Amino acid sequence: MPSRADVRHAAEIALRAVLLATLVLALWRSLRQSPSASRVIAARTETLDRDTRRALHSSEVSGVDVELSAPPTAAQRDALVALRRNSISIHWRGEVPGIALEVIRRREPAGGATITVIGAGSAPLVLSDSAGLIDTVRAGAVSVDVGTLVGAVSATRLTTLASARTPKTTPRRAVLVLGQPDWEEKFVQAALGEAGWQVRARVPVAPGVVVRDDGLLPIDTARYDAVVVLDSSASDLSPAITRFVQQGGGLVVSGGALGIPALRALTPAAAGDRRPGRILLASDTVSPSDLPFRPLLVREDAATLERHVAGVALAVRRVGLGRALAVGYDESWRWRMLGGFSGLAEHRDWWSRVIAAVAPERADTSAAGADAAPRAALIDALGPPSGAASETPRVPEDRLPAILLGIVILAELAETASRRFRGVR
Amino acid sequence: MSEFVFATAQYESGDWDSAPLLPANVIDSIARYTSIEVAPTGVIVPLSSPSLFRYPLVYLTGHLPVRFSDAERANLRQFAARGGLLFVDDHNHDIDGTFHKTATEELTRVYGGLKPLPKTHPLYQAFFVFEDGPPTTSHELNGWGDNLVHKTLSGVEREGRLVLLFSNKDYSSEWNYHPENKRFLSVDNTRFSVNIVVYALTR
Repeated sequence: MPSRADVRHAAEIALRAVLLATLVLALWRSLRQSPSASRVIAARTETLDRDTRRALHSSEVSGVDVELSAPPTAAQRDALVALRRNSISIHWRGEVPGIALEVIRRREPAGGATITVIGAGSAPLVLSDSAGLIDTVRAGAVSVDVGTLVGAVSATRLTTLASARTPKTTPRRAVLVLGQPDWEEKFVQAALGEAGWQVRARVPVAPGVVVRDDGLLPIDTARYDAVVVLDSSASDLSPAITRFVQQGGGLVVSGGALGIPALRALTPAAAGDRRPGRILLASDTVSPSDLPFRPLLVREDAATLERHVAGVALAVRRVGLGRALAVGYDESWRWRMLGGFSGLAEHRDWWSRVIAAVAPERADTSAAGADAAPRAALIDALGPPSGAASETPRVPEDRLPAILLGIVILAELAETASRRFRGVR
Repeated sequence: MSEFVFATAQYESGDWDSAPLLPANVIDSIARYTSIEVAPTGVIVPLSSPSLFRYPLVYLTGHLPVRFSDAERANLRQFAARGGLLFVDDHNHDIDGTFHKTATEELTRVYGGLKPLPKTHPLYQAFFVFEDGPPTTSHELNGWGDNLVHKTLSGVEREGRLVLLFSNKDYSSEWNYHPENKRFLSVDNTRFSVNIVVYALTR
């Protein structure tokens, strides 16, 4: 019968064997690289950062299955894209509401921006910038005009946030007004000046006598954003105007100037026969539809911007690097002077918009950014959501290394304790 | 292109029609010296009428005390806001006269304080060049009124443009003759009227 010391010695050998076997198993497991050992991590919105880090640092992860309750941030989305590019399959599911946000800075000198937000669902969308709340809007497509924006713009619905940066402003250059001395020329100058445009003019008032601003020439894009030609008095500058538009400048042609032969190649429309304006009683106010009018015969490559009851009133087309716009209204100054209390502002804003439509933009006026449409960005980055849970076999979190470590520690402690009790080192 | 129409303001108080030959004389000068399309006859426009806004340059004169009605004041405020220019000439050429006192009082109520125009004002170079400022008239030193040469005109500007031009020079007497009689003058004394019209149309 084996003595107690023999039993103890045998147990110590067994423990050592267990320890060695466990170490060998751990070593074998760590060295083994087989597809069957790969695993899929089940991630949630709350654990996405931790899980993507784990997947990034583990060579055994073959996929990440994400259950989303809110859109991931741009950084989280980029991390998932990086994993997918590293041959790790990414599947996502969950309700990510579709919100899209766009901020377009207005081109007029007065500045301001138009925020357009599109969102499905019935919950209200909260628009804000860095300074605070801008507005709360309902579902659908909504545009909000804002005079000043501070920092980034965001649209929030419940847990979904879409954000866009505020676009840069472009310093505006002068507008050159060319016309004979009459009220149209005067009040176009006045309207543009009041709207914040820097206005220069050349007005021939008699044979050989021209009222003009200093430093008027040359007409180039370094000086001017746009040239406004109101009548045939600008005929002598047609070659310079053509060159200006080809180089990226804006051209607005109105009234009798639509008949200047040298500008016909640029203008988006020819003018029809002039129709007199509405006959006014003493107390009548004037709107654009009451003005004398030349219906525009629009070229095929031009776009119509505004219509009058008698035909097209505004048309625009691209010419070289620039744009040319034709105006069908005559004597728009009557709108300003006889348009009632709102006529002044309406006439000013209308002319400012006309110039802005052709003035070159030297910076990106539209800003969206990566988070302006989170759902669209997610689908663009990771594909559409999975209909059901991933078909890839999912296993629970691997606890074997911890078990093996526990066995090693226990075996080593037991064996050491046994030997110490025997008085052996 | 719309032609320029010379408009004379008719107001309820005073003698608004004290210079009936002036419009024809100014129109003659515009046609004589410039290429501006000008209507052959002027119009008379009541200050209280919405028709005022059809004529962005309006001439007003008189000898007698001026007291605008509420409708005239309201109309003039809108006229100035929209960029119209009111040219007022004191037919008395007398800064101590009743027209001057009452007209400046009324105009100050409507436009705010009047300020003298410097000799370098663009008005004096708008067409003919008047290096010494407004041209003097033969009526300033003829023993009537204050017997002074008024060195400056005064006015009110908005957005860098004159909306009110006020004169004590008595151009209403100086230019109030039949245009045919210009041939008797060595220097046309209506030349400054061309500057006023050209300024109004181009600034």
